[in-house]
Amino acid sequence: MKKICTLIIALILPVSASADSALVDRVISNHVIPRFRTLAQTTAQLAETAAQTCDLDNGQVVSDYHAAFDAWVSVSHLRFGPTEVDDRAFALAFWPDPRSKTTKALHQMISSEDPVIQLPENYAQASIAVRGFYAMEYVLFDEPTRALGHPDYQCALFQAMTKDTAMLSQAILDDWQPDYAALMLSAGQNERYQTDKEAVQELFKAALTGFQFTKDTRIGRPLGTFDKPRPKRAEARRSGRSLRNVVLATDASLDLARQLGQGEDALQSRYDELEHYFTTAVAKLESPVFAGVSDPQSRVKVEVVQQAVDRLLEYTLGGLGPHLGVAEGFNALDGD
Amino acid sequence: MKTLTQLAGLLAATTALTAPALAETAPEKAAVIANYADIAEATYGDSLQAAKTLQAAVAHLVTDPSAEALQAAKTAWLAARVPYQQSEVFRFGNPIVDDWEGKVNAWPLDEGLIDYVDASYGGATDENAAAALNVVANPTFKLGGTEVDATTITPALLEDTLQEADGVEANVATGYHAIEFLLWGQDLNGHKAGNGNRPWTDYAKGEDCTNGNCDRRGDYLQAATDLLISDLDWMTAQWGAEGEARQAISGDEIAGLSAMLTGMGSLSYGEQAGERMRLGLMLNDPEEEHDCFSDNTHNSHYYDGLGVQNVYLGDYVRIDGTLVSGPSLADLVAAKDAALDGQMQGKLSTTMMALGRIKSAAEAGFAYDQMLEQGNQAGEALVMGGVDGLIDQTRTIERIVTELGLNGIAFEGSDSLDNPGAVFE
Repeated sequence: MKKICTLIIALILPVSASADSALVDRVISNHVIPRFRTLAQTTAQLAETAAQTCDLDNGQVVSDYHAAFDAWVSVSHLRFGPTEVDDRAFALAFWPDPRSKTTKALHQMISSEDPVIQLPENYAQASIAVRGFYAMEYVLFDEPTRALGHPDYQCALFQAMTKDTAMLSQAILDDWQPDYAALMLSAGQNERYQTDKEAVQELFKAALTGFQFTKDTRIGRPLGTFDKPRPKRAEARRSGRSLRNVVLATDASLDLARQLGQGEDALQSRYDELEHYFTTAVAKLESPVFAGVSDPQSRVKVEVVQQAVDRLLEYTLGGLGPHLGVAEGFNALDGD
Repeated sequence: MKTLTQLAGLLAATTALTAPALAETAPEKAAVIANYADIAEATYGDSLQAAKTLQAAVAHLVTDPSAEALQAAKTAWLAARVPYQQSEVFRFGNPIVDDWEGKVNAWPLDEGLIDYVDASYGGATDENAAAALNVVANPTFKLGGTEVDATTITPALLEDTLQEADGVEANVATGYHAIEFLLWGQDLNGHKAGNGNRPWTDYAKGEDCTNGNCDRRGDYLQAATDLLISDLDWMTAQWGAEGEARQAISGDEIAGLSAMLTGMGSLSYGEQAGERMRLGLMLNDPEEEHDCFSDNTHNSHYYDGLGVQNVYLGDYVRIDGTLVSGPSLADLVAAKDAALDGQMQGKLSTTMMALGRIKSAAEAGFAYDQMLEQGNQAGEALVMGGVDGLIDQTRTIERIVTELGLNGIAFEGSDSLDNPGAVFE
């Protein structure tokens, strides 16, 4: 009897294991790694440019900032493993900020000319509210912040921020290849991913969480309620990136979902349709920062974009999930 | 594929037959769910009981103010938090609890809405025009463009007019944390040890009254406490034999088990590990403490964690020391996969050990504020120990969801999927 059991195990396990493992391998190689590589490259470029000029209105500084922020938003759904070590992703992207911690902490820091910015290892210990893309946005685009303190301090602060961001991004990439990729590929043989499906589920959850964050937070916060729209809560409105972030984040989650459903024509064609609805809805928006949420007529257009993201979320849950044989699980958005 | 499935079934059956020790008989799922509801009823019942003790202490403080009376009210508040925090595990899996919870435990709050604050607090903010409204000092005021008559402070005023005023969540006018602020006052110690230092004379009569409007402050405190009791009374009833919360999970075993595990996982990960613990650490911000006025955050975290463990083990120690115990999720999981049950129990214990370390360090004098300070490595290690434990136990909760075949739950309710074109209709 024992021999038969062993034989059956040998027959059963490799089938699903190799399929899941190959899928995880493809997604890591084609989706995860290239995106984190772009983040490391663009943040390094931004740090290099910032090191060369103290003119924060310099066109190259601004375009490098946007390129790096684009790269961040395009990985912002991949919140597991290397991004969660040492608070890296939190430090890159502290938002939303309902209690205005960034303004308070940043203004305090600039007004007191806090020397914490002088050494990267000290700055890396500072509050996440004064680090990363959203804090940088204040230094580049927020007039009250720009008016504070001495220009030399502003320059040194921005240099510290860009350097910190580049270091965090490189550290994430370094952890992904080869170690974390290997961990996911050896799912079923390690403590973290105890079956092959758990690695697939991790990627599936990333796509879902990305759609959910975009729908509830990137779009939901400025929408507020009909009676209380909240245009000032739009993400990165000072740099005019609110809609851009929604588009990039949706594209990123969609690319991951499509890759997870690779080879399944029915899934792909449904994603084609849903993507079309999303891009059509986006094309009808006039304001890049969702300024229209306060006006009933243009508000509807923002709501339609939100619905389009919701359709992607729901279809991923109801279509892709069963196809992969994995559950929704829990994510960081489950709390309040 | 079917053949393989059948073989796998055969294999499973064979393994079970030849296994040296037979797994325990699985309990009836309905019995597990009933025990869960019993624990919820006991936990809310205890919260109600403890709040009544608080109510009596508050009444004494207001009618016969003294330093001792204020201290007695604080002691009663701290005791009241013990059962309530253990109830938080019922929140996320049960919509009836989640919809109600903000009335009693909303946090963080812009406390300047309620009473006087230090100059460093600032005034109205971009996010909240009513952040420094100070209802205690102002019998009438404008709120969101409407004139409000608050000459008499009643539970209805708090609940209907002030709570989440102007659609801002930080306008917390009711519940434990509003009462906490009225008992302790602001914690102005920053990262240093020490909690709010409200003088008892804030409730004194006549000329002894400090900071003005002692009578209105007392009215507010009593109104908030009365409201807490009526809210807890309502929720306790929802878990009674005919209560809506119990009914909602009793008819459907999958929904019931799913509610239990959803509550455990969502509280562990998104809420406690993320929003309540890690965020404060990363912001180095003592205002991010959950029970910031009283410096009771270590207990708040500990009893949240204990609530998760209660639900899994099917046990709850009541405030009178008696034990509520019955068929549990642990029994159910152990019967299907003893190793998975061992993993879950081990991780819950690890978390409780980590949360216990935060609690014991805080009670020995290393305040939670201090743990959050920039560069305080011992504090960071303590808090992250709790965070890591909570995140790790959530992974095993996910495995149990899969093991118990509850995966399908999340896939329901997608009737819009078949017609994505409806977006533009």
